Formats: sequence, C-alpha cells, structure tokens
Amino acid sequence: MDTLSQLGYGFGIALAPENLVFVFIGVLAGTIIGILPGLGPMSAIALMIPIAYGMDPTTAIIMLAGVYYGAIFGGSTSSILLNAPGVAGTVATSFDGYPMARKGQAGKALAIAAIASFIGGTVGVVLLMLIAPQLARLAVSFGPAEYFALMILGLTAVVSLAGNNLTKGLISAVAGVIIALVGIDSQTAVLRFTFDLPELYEGVEFLIVALGVFALAEVFTMLVRRSAGGAGGAVTSLRLSRRELGQMGPAAGRGSVLGFFTGVLPGAGATVASFLGYSAEKRLAKDQDTFGKGNIKGVAAPEAANNGAAVGSFVPLLTLGVPGSGTTAILLGALLVLGVQPGPMMLTERPEVFWGVVASMYVGNIVLLVLNLPLIPLFAKVLKTPKALLIPLVVVFCVVGVYGLSFSVFDLWLLLGFGVLGYLMRQNGFPAAPLILGLILGGLMEQSMRRALQISNGDWSIFLTKPISAALLALAVLSLAGPLIGMVRRHRSAASSKVTGGDNGGGGVEKQRR
Amino acid sequence: MFRAPRLITTAAAGASVVLLSTACGGSGGQNADGGWSPERPIELIAPAETGGGWDTLARTTSRVLEEEEMVDQNLQVENKPGGGGAIGWAHVANTPDDPHKLFVTSPPIILVPLSGNSDHTHEDFTPIAALATEYMAYVVPEDSPLESFEDLVEQVEEDPESISIAGGSGPGSMDHVALAGAVKAAGGDPKELNYVPHDGGGEALTSMVGGHVDAAVTGISEAAGMVESDDARMLATSAPEPTDAAPDTPTLQEEGIDFDFDIWRGVMGPGEMTEGQVAYYERLFADMVEQDSWKEETGNLGWEQSYMDSEEFGTFLDEAHAESGEILDEVGLGTEQG
Amino acid sequence: MVPFRFSNRTVAVAIALVAAGYLALALRMPEFTAVEVPVQPATLPRLLGAALLLLAAVLFFQRPAPAEQAQDASDAVEDSAEPSSPGTAEEGTEAGDGAPAGPQRLGRLSDPRLELLLFAGSVAGYITLLVPLGFLITTALYIGATTWYLGYRRHAVNAAVSVGVAALVYFGMSEGLNVVLPSGPFPF
Repeated sequence: MDTLSQLGYGFGIALAPENLVFVFIGVLAGTIIGILPGLGPMSAIALMIPIAYGMDPTTAIIMLAGVYYGAIFGGSTSSILLNAPGVAGTVATSFDGYPMARKGQAGKALAIAAIASFIGGTVGVVLLMLIAPQLARLAVSFGPAEYFALMILGLTAVVSLAGNNLTKGLISAVAGVIIALVGIDSQTAVLRFTFDLPELYEGVEFLIVALGVFALAEVFTMLVRRSAGGAGGAVTSLRLSRRELGQMGPAAGRGSVLGFFTGVLPGAGATVASFLGYSAEKRLAKDQDTFGKGNIKGVAAPEAANNGAAVGSFVPLLTLGVPGSGTTAILLGALLVLGVQPGPMMLTERPEVFWGVVASMYVGNIVLLVLNLPLIPLFAKVLKTPKALLIPLVVVFCVVGVYGLSFSVFDLWLLLGFGVLGYLMRQNGFPAAPLILGLILGGLMEQSMRRALQISNGDWSIFLTKPISAALLALAVLSLAGPLIGMVRRHRSAASSKVTGGDNGGGGVEKQRR
Repeated sequence: MFRAPRLITTAAAGASVVLLSTACGGSGGQNADGGWSPERPIELIAPAETGGGWDTLARTTSRVLEEEEMVDQNLQVENKPGGGGAIGWAHVANTPDDPHKLFVTSPPIILVPLSGNSDHTHEDFTPIAALATEYMAYVVPEDSPLESFEDLVEQVEEDPESISIAGGSGPGSMDHVALAGAVKAAGGDPKELNYVPHDGGGEALTSMVGGHVDAAVTGISEAAGMVESDDARMLATSAPEPTDAAPDTPTLQEEGIDFDFDIWRGVMGPGEMTEGQVAYYERLFADMVEQDSWKEETGNLGWEQSYMDSEEFGTFLDEAHAESGEILDEVGLGTEQG
Repeated sequence: MVPFRFSNRTVAVAIALVAAGYLALALRMPEFTAVEVPVQPATLPRLLGAALLLLAAVLFFQRPAPAEQAQDASDAVEDSAEPSSPGTAEEGTEAGDGAPAGPQRLGRLSDPRLELLLFAGSVAGYITLLVPLGFLITTALYIGATTWYLGYRRHAVNAAVSVGVAALVYFGMSEGLNVVLPSGPFPF
C-alpha cells in the first residue's frame, strides 16, 4: 500500500462512528482536565486509562490521543486567562497570552491559541505521515552531546526573555538552574541542596515554581493595583482581523515545523519546543518590542510549537517503541496493557492501529477547533469576575493544583514562597520567564553534559566533533552574538540619551515588558 | 524531560471509587472461618508517580482484584511519590499497625536504603507476597563486534574507556547492579565499568541504537521491539533459566557466569502485622495470580509469574539484600564504605 | 507608590548574600569518588554560585537604567488609569449593584505593604488549616473571608460562590478524577 491508500484506510477507521464519538469525548475531557492546573496531559491520560481499558485498542488510543491534544489546549487556556500555566509546555504561551487578556483581548488570544494549535497539530500530522519512518533515524541521532547542545541553544533564549536589563535576566536564569539542581543527582545519586528534607529529594516540581512566580505573584500585584473591577472591553470577542490572521499564520507555520522536529527528539518535548518557538519568532520579528506585551505572534508560535511537538512525540513511540516524554510513556503503558506493542514492527504488524492513530490525529485536531471555538467566550468570561472574588479563587486554583500533584503540604509552602519571590522579582524588575527557562532546561543541560562526558571519558571535544552538536552550538553562539551586541549598543545609547536628553529618550528606547 | 513530574493520585481507582459508597459498615475483624479480614477500604500505595513500574503493578493488581470481586472492601491505589520511594515507605512506616495500608515493591526497596537514601529498609515492613518478575537483557547494537557477554567483559578488562554501557537508572540502582553483578561474576572488575545512567530503559536503548553508547542493560520487554526489528541484539539475559520472553538468548548461567538478577515485583505491608492479617493477604494474592485476567495482563506487560508467599519472599529479600550490598560495595557505592 | 521595590544596590547585596551562602554550601559538597565521574555533582553548583556573585556585583555597579525609571512611570500611569478604563463602567452593571458608584478599592489597609503581608498571611492560614479542617471547610471559609475583606458587598453571592466552588472542586476532584483532597471531619 502506498501512503495515501494507507491513510484512506486509516480514515476509514478514524471516522467509524464509535471512534468519532470517542475522539470527541477524549478531546472534551482532555480540555476540561487540562484547564485545571497540575493536571496536564500526563494525568489526563492516566485518568482516562481505566475507561480505555477493555476498549478495542484502536478506539482506545484514538481517544487517548484526543485527550492529549485537549489537555494541551486546556493548559493554554489557564495560561492565557490567569497567567497560571499548569503544564510546562504552555509557559511560553503566557508571555504574550496573558498580556493580551489583560488588555481585554482574552477571547482573541484564546482563538489564536486554538487556531495555532490546530495548525501545529495538522502540520505535525502531515509530517508524521510523510516521514515517520525516516524520522526514527533523527530521533536516535540525538545522543547526550546533541541534547546538551540543544539545551544550550534553548538557554540562549534568555536573551530574548530577559526584558530590558540583561543582568537581571541572567540572575533569574541562574536562579532557575539553581532550583533545577535541587534533589537527588541522577548521575551519582548524591543529594544536593535538600537540607535533609525528603520532600526535596526528587527536586522542586516545575508546576510549583510556575504557579508561584506567575499566578500567585500576579495575584499579589492585582492586590496592590487596587482596582476592584474585572477586565473590561471585548474580552469575549473572538474576532481576528485579516491582518492579524496574516500575522499569525506564518508564525504558527514556523512554530509547527520547529515544534514537530523538537518533539521527535525523545526527552526534548513540548516545553523546549514552545520556548524555542517563542524565542525564534521574537528574533525574527521586526516588532520585537511588543513581544511580552501581547503580540499575537508570541501566542501563535509557542502554541503551534507545543501541539506540533505533541504529534512529533508520537514518532519515537510508534516507530521505536520509545516514549519521548512522560506523556507518551503513559501512552506506551496503556498500549501494552491493551496488548499492542509499539515499536519498529508496529507498522507492519498492526497497521490498523498505526494508520488509525494518524488519521484520528487529523480528526482530533478538527474536533479540537470545532469544540473549543464556541467555548471560548465562556472561558473568557472568567476575566469579568470582580477582583475581590477572582483573587481568592486563583489562590484556591493554585493550591488545588499543587496539592493534587503531590499531596504534600510542604509543597504548598513552597508555592507560597515562590509566590512571594515572584512578586519581589517583579517589583524589582527581574523577569520570571528566564527563571522558568533555567529551571526547565538547566537540569537537562547538566544531565546531558555529564552523560556525554561520561561516555567520552571526560573528553570535552565530544561536543565539537559530533556534527549535530557542533552545528547547534554554533547556532547558539550566533544567536547570542547578534542580540548581545545590539543590546550593549542600545544600552549605551540609552544611557547617553539619559544624560543628555532626560528621561524622554529613555522611555522611548525601552518599552519592554516588566 | 526534566524530572518527570510527580502526578496526582489518579485513576486506577476508576472503578473503585464507584464502589466506594457501598463500602462502609462491613463486618468487623473476624470472618466466617475465624481469620482476620479487612475492616476498612485497603490502600495500595505506589511509592511513585503515575505511569511507572510500581504504578502499573499497583493498578493492575487493584484492577484484577476489583474485577474478579476478590475483596469485600475497596482497594484504592494511592500514589505517594518522592525520594525514589522513601516518601511512600515513610508513609506506611508511620502507622506500623494499620493492616489496611499495603504497598507495591520491587528491588529499589533493597537498593535505595543500601545507598543511604531512605530512613526505612525492607526489614521495617512485612513481606506479603511476590507476584511477578522480569529479567534483564544485556543488549548491543546489531552491528556490534561483541558476540557474547564474555566478549563484553573482555573488552571492559582490556580497555574500559573504549566501551560505555547505558542503563535506565542511576548508579547503584537496578540496572547498574544487574550489570555490575554480572561483570563481577564473569571475573571482571565492576569498578572499571563506564556505566552511563539514563532516564529509563527507553532512553538508554535509543542512545545505544543511535551509536552514542556501545551497549545497554534494560528489561527484556523493553528491548524486545528493537531486537525484533534487527536494530539490536541481546547478548544474554539475567534469567536463571531460559525464559519465554527471549527463548533464543542464552542466560548468563548458560554462558557459565554464575549470576542471575530479576526485577521482582511484590506487595509488602507495615511492620506490625499479625499472623492472621498476613495469612489473609497471602491467600488473596495467591488466588489473584491464578486468575486468567492477571495472567493475561501481566503477560502483555512482559512479566513472568513468580509467586512467593510471605515466608519465601522474606528469605528472598534477605538474600537479595546481602547480594546487592556486596555488589554495591564492590562498585564502591555501598554506604558501609561511606 | 510601589511597595517592596528596592534600589538595585540593596537587591544586589541581598543576592550576593544568597549567592555566597549557596557557594559555601556547594564548596562544602564532598567529592564523589565511589565511581569515576568526569564532572562532579558539585561542579555546576559551584560555577552557578560564582556566576551569581559576579552578576550581583555587576548589578551593584550598574547605573540604574533609564528604562527602569520609565517603567516606574508607566506603572504609575497604569495604576491610575485602570479604574477609569472602559471596562469599569461595564463591570459596574455586571457586578457592582450593591457597591457604591465609582471605582472601588480592594482591601482596607492604607499601607499596601501591610495589605500584602496580611494577604500572604491569609494564604499561610489557608495552607495551615487545609489538612486539619479539610478542603471543604477551609476553602469555603478562605474564599468567603477573603472576598468579604477585599470589599465585595454582595454577601449572598459571596456565600454561594465560596461554598459552591469548594464543593464543586472537592467532589469534582474526588469523585470525577479520583484526586483525593483532605476530607477533614467529613466521612466522604
């Protein structure tokens, strides 16, 4: 069979009425679960496994794939509306999504997220279908040295996330890496900075930090801003002008492709993809200054990237039998229980599952769009809630998310601590995004660096003799050099204009995000 | 990913919650034949996040017990992740006389305390039953010059820097011990090994197939797919005798290396259980492993049946403790040596 | 005014102190010698501690960038502008029936610092009582009290929302999703 007839076969399976119903149920359940912080795609899928158990394996995985996309989209919703990213993959969405919501464009931001997710998912599925078998080779070509280089490239995004004071951005990023290193060292099993607290042995959970420095800090800020009303304006309007569509299209397209290929790499996943997507888009943009203040490209790119990556992560799962992320690890478990062994032989042994899943991804993406566009005005209404009521509700939302994750009161104290830290950072001009970036990539960076050096017996040249790694590192150096020079130059001119022209000049130069 | 997020207690209990409402009230501590029976819903603790091996074991167990209606009380899976298991163990150890809290277990209950990262050891708990097991495979890429485990040990001896071996877990954990023990039994020096820890067997295998490391040690079922597709070859398994999961691969024993290692999986309870309580659970799990649904599900997961009752399991644990301690000391990771 | 904003110098000193403490801990970490590892577990922490110290020094000697002063100004504009933003009028009809006309203020204390401390304290209280009192009671009390304190006047709505949300989340999580929140004195 050639690809097209195979795909036709797949659609025959995906469009069977009961499968359609289950895609729908999966996407809906995923969206709802994903909105709750702490309940990301991983938990959403785990929650649905008992329901999937006993189903026909194809139907089951079709439903679970629906849950997967739904949960990612649901995560974006809380990122945009409440600045409360429940899943690491949607942190980058909040950088511009939340400012849009604060400007009264919540509906628009959500619509962009939905459309970009759709584009990301669809582009991903097309790529998956066309080149999945070849991609298996890409996935295995990334060893520890290559991951290290990729993480370094990802960390250079700190420059674009740092806002107007690079020193403060770097301090945030270093703090993020410091937090990432808490816990049992996976290379030597040595305890680091755990202060004899067993609660810290497995490190500080990403979600606690994210909810603290984003959502709780935002609540503190709301309190000090002291205006009691809900957001005004056309929060529920979805309308996008043609110009806006024209702007977001290419951004989403680039994000999708980048996201997909990042997602293919086991271990990199949606989070790295969304950060890379965001910072690449910002660097390409002519209107860099408006990023972080509600630029629609800043919503479209990471959203497309994280959905593209979600699809990409199916490549190693379906072609190698290797889960590329925590979420696909759970999917793998589910498939095994259902009696399907994913792996290199799946395409020949269980073509109905493979192509059924591919086709159902198309269907799932369409369902995601159809289901969520009408729901957006409803979601966006959240912002009309008077602040006096919204503030305690957000606190409860964060507490439930963290407690539901670990059942540990200790983690709630951490949450409050990070909330206070996040507020202090904000007040003093330290951006939170680099902190999160350092937290997510820092640990991975250290791990892959040490793993690579373990393999090479301590020979550092491994990073330069491997072509992919060398290329990525070169890219990292390049992407640092340009903006750094620019920033130093701007800084100089800003400083001198202050001396000569007073603060008019200064204000004009940098209207960055806080 | 960075550290896999700890997750919520999720839904193995899917079915169990539905039944929860009917669970109250039960008939006190004695059942018809005078033995003990549970008075409250039973918590089956998986000391790890959802999705891992312990979680799968706990959920499979609870599903079979619920579906076959083998327990009068509900059986709820609870995830208590953290500290490589230490948090969950501490949770159970806090109520040493509550027979309604059991936990699923496997080699880390021996290995984590040995490397000094838990306040509790297997001796603080009551072994109830071993349920299933899986063996390790020593794998190389298809085009590797190594033909047998002996070859591998030889190369380690000749030039330890020339061969890196990936495993799915940290130093001093299962994969490492399974490798170090085999190398030691074959006459090599396990301290020379260039062991490269990865996050899970899948990552280790990918790293190997991509040519980044020269060999890998993982569970047989994890490696099966890549072997089938001719991307990888198994040099040997750690099973005591030839196993159905990899019938064509020699065991270490067959290769003349006196070492076997299994990823046993079982259930333990708190420290102060009465004989009656142990007997109740023993019978329950003995019946469970006979169920077809249990055999089918564990078969799908690539696990083999290896039931042991409380006493056998206890002896087995003590032996495993002694043996692993020795291997870890040899590698230099034992706490005794500091 | 902007509460809890400090000069770059103050912040730099604080960061330097933290960095020094961290560095001291990192330097005291023992070498890992059991197995030969090319990079010690303490290596990166030491580098990070040093980097943080260095960055703190850079911050200390940095001239306050004009941008930050501009940011101050824009914050002030934002703060004063918001009550008169177009949203307020609409919000008045939507939620403000019982409230007096005109922009409403959150909270009661005049010093925002105290207000923030009080708020953080209330979250701390919520966390402390969560397990002993159970999710339902604590959450209903917390939402109700905070909303009342922040100046929401429709007490019936407040009561309904606080009890309703607590119950919805609790039962939704425990029954629907099997996430067991602290039950407190209730048997369910």
